[in-house]
Amino acid sequence: MPPILQVDRITKFFAGLAALKDVTFDVEPGGIYGLIGPNGAGKTTLLSIIAGSLRPTGGAVMFEGIDLTKKRSFGAAQVGVVRTHQIPRPFKSLSVLENVEVGLRFGRGRGAGNAVHETMQILERVGLAHAYRQSSARLSVGDLKRLELARCLAARPSVLLCDEVCSGLTELESGQVLDLLCDIRRSGTTILYVEHNLKAIMKVCDRVIVMNYGQKLTEGLPQQVQNDPAVIEAYIGKPAGK
Amino acid sequence: MEQDAPVGVREADTAASGVWRFVPALAPLVVLAVFAALPLANPGPNTVRLLFVTLTLVAMSVGWNLLGGFCGQVSFGFAVFYGLGAYTTALSINGGIPPMLAFLLGAAVAAFASLLIGLPTFRLKGPYFTIATIGVSEAVRVVMTNVPWTGGASGYRIVEKVRFVQIHHYYTGLALAALAVGISILVRRSKFGLALIAVREDQDAASDLGVNPFTTKLLAHALGAALTGAAGGVYARYAAFIDPEGVFAFSTGVAILLMSIIGGIGTIWGPVIGAFVYGLIHEEVVAYFPQAHLLIFGTLLILIILFEPAGVLGLSKKLFSVFLRRKKN
Repeated sequence: MPPILQVDRITKFFAGLAALKDVTFDVEPGGIYGLIGPNGAGKTTLLSIIAGSLRPTGGAVMFEGIDLTKKRSFGAAQVGVVRTHQIPRPFKSLSVLENVEVGLRFGRGRGAGNAVHETMQILERVGLAHAYRQSSARLSVGDLKRLELARCLAARPSVLLCDEVCSGLTELESGQVLDLLCDIRRSGTTILYVEHNLKAIMKVCDRVIVMNYGQKLTEGLPQQVQNDPAVIEAYIGKPAGK
Repeated sequence: MEQDAPVGVREADTAASGVWRFVPALAPLVVLAVFAALPLANPGPNTVRLLFVTLTLVAMSVGWNLLGGFCGQVSFGFAVFYGLGAYTTALSINGGIPPMLAFLLGAAVAAFASLLIGLPTFRLKGPYFTIATIGVSEAVRVVMTNVPWTGGASGYRIVEKVRFVQIHHYYTGLALAALAVGISILVRRSKFGLALIAVREDQDAASDLGVNPFTTKLLAHALGAALTGAAGGVYARYAAFIDPEGVFAFSTGVAILLMSIIGGIGTIWGPVIGAFVYGLIHEEVVAYFPQAHLLIFGTLLILIILFEPAGVLGLSKKLFSVFLRRKKN
């Protein structure tokens, strides 16, 4: 199958600092791709570039024949590439239902069909249906993370970019969110999942891309990557005396 | 200004139960009927004038609230649209165009100007946008003071060949105010209204979900400008004389914003209530404290933002719910 997303030699400089250097990889449709690396490796920067919220210094991101780096974030969302935020960013004065409605009405679907019905279905799927009338300002961290996912799902993405959806969650909540990611993949959405929690990545990912210092370190199946000496070194450091 | 106020939560969510349920739907119609029937009570010309001016203020305030309240883009520059609407209408009427068409032209010119202003200024966010609107407003006033073909600083007179009937102007003002409120209600319930609030709450997050923040703001700006321009036109025809220091005054731009804040920014009825409060007390305050009226309004503004950011509407909602709770017990 041809790749759904092609990240092609993406480079990003912040002033003189290279946050990303020639990062290249393909994402095939229907999988969960993990993007891991130590703090400061450039994972979120890369995610922001794919989502159109940040312009790269060089390179291209091809999605269905469109170069996403030429689009702004609303353009990317409208063609089906949607991101979540590491720190949830709800529209606080809107109810949970209305928050999800924003994704539904302005994302790829553009509000076709019965908005309330569809919104409630999505809320049920992420386990937030009970809170639909609540103001989003009063949600717990776990529920805010669910709301982030629900809003993105409402935009009917073909590629969902997840930025550390498990950070700040309890073990139990993380498990539920990871199950949800698997469920989203089963319904045909490709997921690119940024995380620095290795355990979460190993549990759900079909393929893992490892980054360090703004470059792609390696790429492969979760078990391969886990045992790769270069990856262990990037995360833990060299053994003493070598 | 935006975090504390319970603005944007759909009116239905805060509505009371029982008979009170019908109040939100019926109240506007009752108010409209009262205003329409008011001339039957034979009010004096000064009362009619005051009400007429207040109705034009309602249209402006509601128009400003589309951008400043729903979308959170605080502009000090709406005097530009008021003035342009006034001048366009004045020139059109003197050119022989029927008044209703002249008001439309005033609205159209104001909306067009809003696009010219919005294209560069909406690249700025938050307070930077606000500051830019101050600059634009002052620049337009200075230019208009020096344009020779509208009389420059000495102003411009409208000559109409019809008899002046005050009550006709009153009804024009009432129609415009009703139109403004109608637009505001429709916008708030629409997909566009959802985009406005999403952009206000978090522009980047809204964009990540497919909302184009730039066109959303431009459209809200244009709608607000059109209503403000029409209000300028309606007022100009009534006054029959306008000058740049009057219609382009910076204080007009501040007053428009003040009204929404007094009444309850980001709500449908807040700007209406604010316009009435401001319109009815402004003249008295200016008459009694000619030197200190700006100080008084400034103090009022600070007090509202500090103690009741949701304005008169927020305060009355609180009192109303206290009243309901008392009744239950």
